Amino acid sequence: MNRDQIIETTKRFLSEEFEVSTDVIIPENNLQQTLDLDSLDYVDLVVVIEENFGFKPTADDFKTVATFEDFYQLVEQKLAELA
Amino acid sequence: MKIEKANIKKYIPQREPFIMIDSLKDASDEGFASEFEIVETNCLLINNVLSESALVENIAQTCAAGFGYLNSLLEDAEPRLGFIGAVTKLSNFQSAHVNQKINTTVSILNTFENIHLIQGTCFADEVKLLECQMKIVLA
Repeated sequence: MNRDQIIETTKRFLSEEFEVSTDVIIPENNLQQTLDLDSLDYVDLVVVIEENFGFKPTADDFKTVATFEDFYQLVEQKLAELA
Repeated sequence: MKIEKANIKKYIPQREPFIMIDSLKDASDEGFASEFEIVETNCLLINNVLSESALVENIAQTCAAGFGYLNSLLEDAEPRLGFIGAVTKLSNFQSAHVNQKINTTVSILNTFENIHLIQGTCFADEVKLLECQMKIVLA
């Protein structure tokens, strides 16, 4: 899965799960603020990430994620580890 | 049987008349199963029909007993308190009546830190009564 595919996949499942417009899912935006995530929402985020990308992120993984760009980098890294 | 009726109060914080589980039949990292007989003195009966909220509480108490049981195996400690963080995707199919026995299954769908996403389903006489998802937060 290349970067464009990761971005398109992410936009699709995050907009569906968290009911936000795909227009706000842009690399420089803050993921937590854009999706309005509280602590309980992270378990939902883990579920959709696992369903769509095949890996289960940990709490430590999320410490490195502030923006959507950070998230895309995390996905690329995890998918490379799985390959 | 993992927890008999006589011992259930060691694993859940609720007390009479608000206990909505009799026994824990099974418990593993994948999920739990419980039994509960509806007696005529149940405080959540309305015209001999058990309320929807009682079934939701039954699922929550199945989780409490299940997590409490697993925790007791690991740490030989007092059960951890758990809280319902959210109830979602609830479907109520049929009502349960006095003298019916409720069989409840809980599947642990995912876990993130101390938050567990579970799917709970209540049956009576093999007929599905209610199902929902819950986020259970362990303190």
